[in-house]
Amino acid sequence: MATLLRNLGRSTVNKLIAWDFKATLKPAIPTILAGSRNAASWYPDEKYFKYYDVPFLWPENEELTEEMKKMTSYNGILVPEEKEVQNMMLNFGPQHPAAHGVLRLVMELDGETVLRNDPHIGLLHRGTEKLIEYKTYLQALPYFDRLDYVSMMCNEQAYCLAVEKLLGIEAPLRAKYIRTMFGEITRILNHCMFLGAHALDVGAITPFLYVFEEREKLMEFYERVSGARLHAAYVRPGGVALDLPIGIMDDLYDFISKFGERLDECEDLLTSNRIWVQRTKDVGIVSAEDALNYGFSGVMLRGSGIKWDIRKAAPYDAYGLVEFDVPIGKNGDTYDRYLIRLEEMRQSLNIIEQCLNNMPPGEVRTDDAKIVPPKRAEMKSSMEALIHHFKLFTQGFQVPPGATYTAVEAPKGEFGVYLVSDGSSKPYRCKIKAPGFAHLAGLDMVAKNHMLADVVAIIGTLDIVFGEVDR
Amino acid sequence: MAFFGLDRVSRFFNLIKENGGFRQSLYKLYRQNDLKSGTLVGTDKLGNKYYENNEYFLGRNRWVIYSPSLGTDFDGSAVSPAWFGWLHYKTDIPPTQKEHVQYSYIDTTPSPNPTGTNKAYIPYTTGKPKIQAWVPPTRS
Amino acid sequence: MAALRVFTISRLVPQDLLRGSRPLLVSSRRSNYKDVSMPEPDMSYGAITERAATTIFWTELARGFAVTLGTMFKEPCTINYPFEKGPLSPRFRGEHALRRYPTGEERCIACKLCEAICPAQAITIEAEEREDGARRTTRYDIDMTKCIYCGFCQEACPVDAIVEGPNFEFTTETHEELLYNKEKLLSIGDKWEPEIAANIQADYLYR
Repeated sequence: MATLLRNLGRSTVNKLIAWDFKATLKPAIPTILAGSRNAASWYPDEKYFKYYDVPFLWPENEELTEEMKKMTSYNGILVPEEKEVQNMMLNFGPQHPAAHGVLRLVMELDGETVLRNDPHIGLLHRGTEKLIEYKTYLQALPYFDRLDYVSMMCNEQAYCLAVEKLLGIEAPLRAKYIRTMFGEITRILNHCMFLGAHALDVGAITPFLYVFEEREKLMEFYERVSGARLHAAYVRPGGVALDLPIGIMDDLYDFISKFGERLDECEDLLTSNRIWVQRTKDVGIVSAEDALNYGFSGVMLRGSGIKWDIRKAAPYDAYGLVEFDVPIGKNGDTYDRYLIRLEEMRQSLNIIEQCLNNMPPGEVRTDDAKIVPPKRAEMKSSMEALIHHFKLFTQGFQVPPGATYTAVEAPKGEFGVYLVSDGSSKPYRCKIKAPGFAHLAGLDMVAKNHMLADVVAIIGTLDIVFGEVDR
Repeated sequence: MAFFGLDRVSRFFNLIKENGGFRQSLYKLYRQNDLKSGTLVGTDKLGNKYYENNEYFLGRNRWVIYSPSLGTDFDGSAVSPAWFGWLHYKTDIPPTQKEHVQYSYIDTTPSPNPTGTNKAYIPYTTGKPKIQAWVPPTRS
Repeated sequence: MAALRVFTISRLVPQDLLRGSRPLLVSSRRSNYKDVSMPEPDMSYGAITERAATTIFWTELARGFAVTLGTMFKEPCTINYPFEKGPLSPRFRGEHALRRYPTGEERCIACKLCEAICPAQAITIEAEEREDGARRTTRYDIDMTKCIYCGFCQEACPVDAIVEGPNFEFTTETHEELLYNKEKLLSIGDKWEPEIAANIQADYLYR
């Protein structure tokens, strides 16, 4: 720069070089135009060239090389290098409203396509299994309500059946019918929740409102028999806690005779609706082979066309005494599973009606005084009963040593309890097999290469509840 | 009239009349989000008024209008225990028809949930203290 | 893996062979399983036209709209809560209360069954002999934030002293206010006794 100024100062006009820029730029234009992005790009116009159409100065002691006369674009100077690119990693949840509780999914996205789903669980872990080891068999019962907190009584049922199997006792017939009836009420409760939440995830708000109205009525039945709308603690080892209160069977009959109509309403809104069909049909297809290999159960298995239902395969309680059909799907997609759950609700109504009609009279708890606490009137009048009462509520009942795996067909699938007893009044080990856990483990397989919005529908169709997944 | 639904107009004006005119109706609408007409079943100690109208479905056919003394600071817990069962459909017999058990110790003073007020419950121990303070021996 | 093998074998084996062996394998009388998935679309001309018409004229959407429109004319199913309340049963398990005998004597004899059975270990009891020689609690604390409202304490109580009353409107603004002590529990019992007595009366045949 200094040289340039000095030269100007001397005003040596002979060193001025006039340069025709227009001629030099010409070969450069095509490189500017040939952008690969097809984005709007600027290229030199006439005004731009006019600006350079003037004489300009050049230092005398530097030679103007041919290399310098060539104008290369900036991008041409850059040395092409290989770049490390990575797909977008996205955290889905744990506060996402479509994540059904505290699911945290770490997703690998390619644009809007989900390449990999990595469920991170444990945000609702309460150590139920370990806690149960320090509780008596009766005290452990309320923990089961809190596992899958939308199908409470089915979990209790699984636990009570396991304890009964170890004890070698059986509930009286009336208790069996009551359990079956409330198991099916629970199934409707759960599938209502599924239908509402699934439709809400996919974008239909209306069925959610309809279905929660019905859930409210069902929870009132829960409240009438047990005293709690959700965490009932109603099913007990050796029967149920209390007999059905008077009038509940009439109201239940009233409910089941109307509920089918409400289901029809929801079906009118969804089943043939083109948006619903487009969002669910052929989304999240699970082949029968995959369903078996991933340990799916319940609707996830039946949706793929496998005939398996524990209520049929190994009937417990009064399921062997009632007639019902088990719906099966063919395609294994979200739409089929939706149809199956709807049909299961209708079958549940059928089972409830049969239970109401065939409800036998009699006791609701076994008459073994060493296991079932006495009735209050008896406890207050009989010394022996009072002693039993005290023993049962402090030490609890002893269970002979042994191990059992007892499973029930919970609304979400096979809910199993593996119970090991060492002969004391507390379980040695209680392993809970939750259906949601296996389903969530298969999420990566099911949702691979789907769109992000489909993953939400798939989470809905898996019907995951975090109480049981995290335990 | 009923066929064309015109009886609703007269019913609307009746509703306003029963609720004490336009001004009162507007105030009630503001306070209760609802205007209903029903028969007064009874009043409790606090001044809450209990109404019933079986034209509404179960769940809406019994209701309470909280005492004006509560203003807009009413709370569900202001319902007196005597009326609780009737309002929650546990029994169809209001306490005006059948008295509840009466023992001398039963506390019938109205006590809405006191949380947030200076009457709020503060826990304290009712047991004997486990540690006795050391009393320095006095030189006699 | 074993399951997979079983499944694939059953596919490979000729169906006639399996059909013959079925009575030996499965005990159920009828199939009891029903296919609910949508049948394959009929490809006859009439059916295709039908489907096209459904698509063009939005008939299934119209049906959905009709359902929502019909709901608009229904009476709303919601209740106006603090004024109207939902039904409760005598078995409802709400806020705890300590009861008294009609004479005013407290019922609790400090047998500590409730403390023993409580799965959440929310109850703390200390007992001492009173001046008149009766065994009574000096301390009866329930941490209502630990309590899971399972109702085992009221089932365990041999003298019906601790009960879960009908009240559920006891929310507080601070945690401390939910650490109930004996006097608080007794005062709740004094307040709710008419309702608690009515509940026990209504349910005594079942208990």
